[in-house]
Amino acid sequence: MIDHRATVKRILISALFFLLLSVGNKLSAQDGKAIFQNNCASCHSVFKDLTGPALGGVTSRGPWTDHKKLYEWVHNPAKFMASDPYTQGLKAKFGGVVMSPFENLSEKEIDAVIDYVEKTAKAGPATPGPGQGTPGAGGAQVLDEKDNSILYGVLTLILAVVAFIMLQVNSNLKKLADDKDGLPAYETIPFYRNKSYITLLTLVLFVIGGFYIVKGAIGLGRSQNYQPEQPIFYSHKVHAGVNQINCLYCHGGAMEGKAANIPSVNICMNCHMTINEYTESAGKLYREDGTQVDGTAEIKKIYAAAGWDATKKAYTGETKEIQWTKIHNLPDHVFFSHAQHVNAGKVQCQTCHGEITKMDEVYQFADLSMGWCINCHRTTKVNFGGKSGEEGNKFYSIYEKFHDDLKSHKKAPGALGGDSVIVAPLRDSITVADIGGLECQKCHY
Amino acid sequence: MKKLSIVSVLVLAVVAWSCNEDVRRTPGHVYMPDMAYSRAIETYAPIDTLAKQGIHYNRLPVAGTIKRGELLPFPLAKDKTGDTANYVQSTHIANPLPALDAVQMKEAERLYLVNCGICHGTALDGNGPLYKGGEGPFSAAPANLATGPKYVTMPDGQMFYSVTYGKGQMGSYASQLSTTQRWMVIHYIKSKQGGGKQAAAVAPATDSAAAKPAAAGAATAAKKPAADTTAKKK
Repeated sequence: MIDHRATVKRILISALFFLLLSVGNKLSAQDGKAIFQNNCASCHSVFKDLTGPALGGVTSRGPWTDHKKLYEWVHNPAKFMASDPYTQGLKAKFGGVVMSPFENLSEKEIDAVIDYVEKTAKAGPATPGPGQGTPGAGGAQVLDEKDNSILYGVLTLILAVVAFIMLQVNSNLKKLADDKDGLPAYETIPFYRNKSYITLLTLVLFVIGGFYIVKGAIGLGRSQNYQPEQPIFYSHKVHAGVNQINCLYCHGGAMEGKAANIPSVNICMNCHMTINEYTESAGKLYREDGTQVDGTAEIKKIYAAAGWDATKKAYTGETKEIQWTKIHNLPDHVFFSHAQHVNAGKVQCQTCHGEITKMDEVYQFADLSMGWCINCHRTTKVNFGGKSGEEGNKFYSIYEKFHDDLKSHKKAPGALGGDSVIVAPLRDSITVADIGGLECQKCHY
Repeated sequence: MKKLSIVSVLVLAVVAWSCNEDVRRTPGHVYMPDMAYSRAIETYAPIDTLAKQGIHYNRLPVAGTIKRGELLPFPLAKDKTGDTANYVQSTHIANPLPALDAVQMKEAERLYLVNCGICHGTALDGNGPLYKGGEGPFSAAPANLATGPKYVTMPDGQMFYSVTYGKGQMGSYASQLSTTQRWMVIHYIKSKQGGGKQAAAVAPATDSAAAKPAAAGAATAAKKPAADTTAKKK
């Protein structure tokens, strides 16, 4: 009884579509693409198994050599599956998921989709153009810079040699002139025992040596440009740059806590359950030492960590830890909270972390020295977020009166406590330093 | 004596210089290690040795814990593989959050753009940068939340189920968005659906498609994506 009803319904719907189509719409593979993307693409791909099987070569598999069966399946998968072992096997293979019915797809539309799928499958998966992302250009630039510095070095050396020769010539000429004048000639001192030369050399070495010692001593405990090798070659350039994923998608903790969290593997799997290969959409990937990275192999490492069986499309439950290397380390005696800076202060990530969207391997951009912190606190204006609070936050609203007083050039209410005689300078805004951003115990306690 | 000082300066200079690596793979040394490295267990410190030290630490809160000020958790569990009972059941659950005011809506929009926009698109048209009309790396078409008939009529509860437990190729967002944030995002999506005021301003082409009923004919289905892409390119 129910079957009859469904059949009648289907016939009616088919007839309706037939009417619609007969108005002069010949469906081509082009329309097939549109229908495919609207109805099928969220679970099926032409080349890859997603939620459902890859559609490439579908008409040569199982019962689908008969198009009639395919129509029946698309219109009512549950009913078709009841009497078909092939699709029952598919259900088991794809984790018990059964396709949703698409009653409103006409047979012609299904044909158009198949037409599109077969044509695309024949054409093969799209590969990005070779012109994209040429790392050679970047490499050449680096070489150019190095070439320049060598050039300058050589020039300096030549000039030094010339100067040295000139000095020798000068002294020889002086000796000749002295001989002519009949002055007694001193015993010639070789240049390496000449006191003025030794003094000069010592001074130069002292300056150069001193420079590097001071530089090294200042750098002790700082890790600017620290660029450790990570367990997985995760390119921020590919993710945040080319694919425009927001920083906070993975590092959402920056809004809420002290640490901008390192994403757990399930966040990787949000996308990488589907994206199982690197198609060089951002060009070939290279490590800093110039070796090429196999992006697909790196994605496999996530699967290993998440315990994801890509062929069975199921989690095995055997997970592994990914031990990422922390790059930005502050000493224990400094307190830093991301939430305070990103959420309350509305500081952009790139202000401190540099152009992350261009880094394949992330390095420490800022030196994270105290001077660097203080400079920023002195120059950064506090975001009060307007009266309505819509364009900012009300975190600093308690300072708003202070802000208004400063604006009207009243006495500054005691930056050092109590009534201060310092008159606020002419300015239209207040900086982080004005609201206690230079207090020692804000960061050291 | 003088020679000694010169030599020592030279040696130190060479040492300092040799510390400059081409690619810096080591973080370097510190003056006062006991002030630099925390003795307390800090975030992301290795914790695999804690048990050996007799420190028994649970990273997860006790089951059933609810954060202060947080909404009650979703009453339905995740369906077993191959089962859809709870997914169907979720249609009956209403959004516990009252309608959002302007500031909250702004925050909901931010959350949507950060977490959802990457696939579902800033215009909610299912064409985010990861999909790019099939060109992007993500090969499954994300749901067209703005005009897809299934999603325009989808109840809040079922959307929440999908966001919380994942659906099809979409993963669970329970670790990225709190319960309140998820309901906020659903409010945001619902406010943009059905030719919301912004949809009318941004993409008149998609709007006209949205106005057509769910069971629109083949012609509409075929033309819609073309209109979508033009609207996006603009």
